[in-house]
Amino acid sequence: MTAFASLPATSGAYSQGPAVPKTIKVSQLNHYFGEGELRKQALHQNNLEVKRGEIVIMTGPSGSGKTTLLTLIGTLRTVQEGSLKVLGNELNGASRDEIVALRREMGFIFQAHNLFESLTAFQNVNMAAELADMERGLAKERIDYLLNRLGLGHRIHYKPKSLSGGQKQRVAIARGLVHSPKLVLADEPTAALDEHSGREVVTLFQELARDEGCTIIMVTHDNRILDVADRIVNMVDGYIRSDVAVHETSVICEFLRQFPLFSDLSTSTLTDIADKMMVQEAVAGDVIIRQGDPGELFYLIRSGQVDVIIDEDGAANKVAELGEGQYFGEAALLRDEPRNATIVARSKAVFYTLGKADFKDVLSRSKTFVDELRSVLASRT
Amino acid sequence: MFNFNNTPLAWKNLTHDWRRLIVAVAGIGFAVLLMFTQVGFQNALFDSQVKMIDDLQGDVFLVSRAKYTLAAEKRFPLELVNQARSASGVIGAYPLYTELTFSRLKSFGMGAPSKAFPIRSIGFRLDDPIFNSDRINSQLQKLRLPYAALLDVRSKRDNFPFPTESDEELAKVQAELADRKIVMVGTFDLGTDFAHDGNLAMSAENFAEYFPQRKQFGDPLSVVDLGLIHVGDKSQLMNIRDTIDQLLDDRVFVLTREQFRNQEIEFWDKSTPIGIIFTAGKIIGFIVGMVICYQVIYSDIADHMPEFATLKAMGYTTTYFLRLIVTEGVLLSFVGFIPGLIASTLLYALLADSTGLLLRMTPQAILMVLVLTVTMCIASGLLAVRKLLAADPANLF
Repeated sequence: MTAFASLPATSGAYSQGPAVPKTIKVSQLNHYFGEGELRKQALHQNNLEVKRGEIVIMTGPSGSGKTTLLTLIGTLRTVQEGSLKVLGNELNGASRDEIVALRREMGFIFQAHNLFESLTAFQNVNMAAELADMERGLAKERIDYLLNRLGLGHRIHYKPKSLSGGQKQRVAIARGLVHSPKLVLADEPTAALDEHSGREVVTLFQELARDEGCTIIMVTHDNRILDVADRIVNMVDGYIRSDVAVHETSVICEFLRQFPLFSDLSTSTLTDIADKMMVQEAVAGDVIIRQGDPGELFYLIRSGQVDVIIDEDGAANKVAELGEGQYFGEAALLRDEPRNATIVARSKAVFYTLGKADFKDVLSRSKTFVDELRSVLASRT
Repeated sequence: MFNFNNTPLAWKNLTHDWRRLIVAVAGIGFAVLLMFTQVGFQNALFDSQVKMIDDLQGDVFLVSRAKYTLAAEKRFPLELVNQARSASGVIGAYPLYTELTFSRLKSFGMGAPSKAFPIRSIGFRLDDPIFNSDRINSQLQKLRLPYAALLDVRSKRDNFPFPTESDEELAKVQAELADRKIVMVGTFDLGTDFAHDGNLAMSAENFAEYFPQRKQFGDPLSVVDLGLIHVGDKSQLMNIRDTIDQLLDDRVFVLTREQFRNQEIEFWDKSTPIGIIFTAGKIIGFIVGMVICYQVIYSDIADHMPEFATLKAMGYTTTYFLRLIVTEGVLLSFVGFIPGLIASTLLYALLADSTGLLLRMTPQAILMVLVLTVTMCIASGLLAVRKLLAADPANLF
């Protein structure tokens, strides 16, 4: 049996199996600003994995380090301590040429549009296409497509001076996307946009992520676009406080809701539970729990199948088979008894586990206020 | 170096703000004008030092070895001219006499200064082909008279206030050369230089009358200042020069027109402060241009720091930025050079008209100033590019 006690279930690392390529892998990353006595640590022990095609939204108060992390990922700052792999390249100690080559595979969208006033919208976008050595015809087609998609079809040959703030921002977005980057780093891309064009931009992001496998990392405070996130990373004071795969968390919540004791819990409580669950992996034949052992964990099957075997008077009887979305191990925790059955993995399987203390803590909360009130009133008589 | 398929960012940035472009063009044009003025004056002054050589006929010249410049009164015996005539390939050799030390002209006309001023007297045998100028050659008959001389119309006005507009008026003016009566029977056009404020041309016979002191004992015409030699076959010029050189003794240099001219210019350029003064003038023009050009490129960079930083983030390399700025420098130098050249040509015409200096726009001068301008703009671009390379894309987020 292989345990990954350090990997949270909501990280989503196992939702599609570990084989999905990682665009970004941050491990034990520290970053400091200043020198000598003024030296201040901006990032503490950051760990983060982002898969290909994921849309990640980074949130957190200003000064929390999210921008620092973004510039480090974007090769715009030099990695000081720890490891940072972007598109398969280790950035710690990377050469100038490697960094330039890597930058050309990325798209940057800054909060300020930074367009050349002397160039038209088309020419500004074309600066990025030329760098990628795109064939002229193809580049023109793609620029036209992007600017049209972003609602600037009629302003393609206008200079920034005759564009509104939002239009300029959309030109800058097109410039960040024109060369089909593998990774897009965006800082408040929708801040200057109205709701409709903001929606258009994030829809475009989703299409790129889905169709071109483009990974997108956004720093945003715009709550209107949180729904496009595959993963939400929250940073506080240089620490990654939570790193949650949105889809995986909703899958876990759905699974948990099927457990009768949890069925009346609110979504936010379920999300809290999901956050506390850890990943555990097993191969066929592994014994997950053994009859008679003390019970420590509650198990949710994420993938694979298990056999439930009860040992009665020396004879092992298989009493059930459990599959994806089902759970086991709750009885021992509820009654503080030893395990009443043995569970053996039938195939390669992934479980999400919840510790005994957390499990009991949740149960104590599952009694709703009304239930408690009723029992109080009932006992008065 | 210049990829015409790509977005011409250098050109676009340069021409985007037309106010700034006009300032840049005016500034660089001014620097170009400064440099052209220096080059023009230098060439004009050097040209005027050798104007007499240019006005003389002859393919090879005999010059005393001691005569380091035309104004140095170092002479050699007439026999050497006669000897040169016997060299093969030579079809004629003629003496030319000049005098400055004893040659003082005083006018007794109305409002004339009471002082006699030095003027160069040029004496020649009237039958010899000495001058190119038709203006002189058509008045040779008048010069046969005693006391007759031609006055250079470009002689310094303050010293020689003669009515050169009319020959009749001029002939009536009472004047003395070396304390003897002189009659100005006509005019010619030679020009002044650093050493000479004016010129008189006269027959060798009259010349001998005015300046008998040239040679203490004997014929004043037996010592000559220049020997003018005509050769038959111009293509054999160098061979004939060598032949004459071998024939004559070491008292004279035998020089082709080109060599003579260069020797004279070299004297003024290298042995007097004139060359240094004009070089300093050119350097000042260069520096003025560089400061202006630096200012233009620097402010273009400073105004576009976030944009350039964005380009850096996108993966544009240092090489790209260097090219961009060099291109901008070259473009600036051309857009500044053309109006500068036009303005200089106009100024040349204006100054030539008012000063009588020979200001000519030669291809060499144009090329030299163009090279200086391009160098100046590229150099200032490379000074300014450090600012661009310091653009930090990490500050953009």
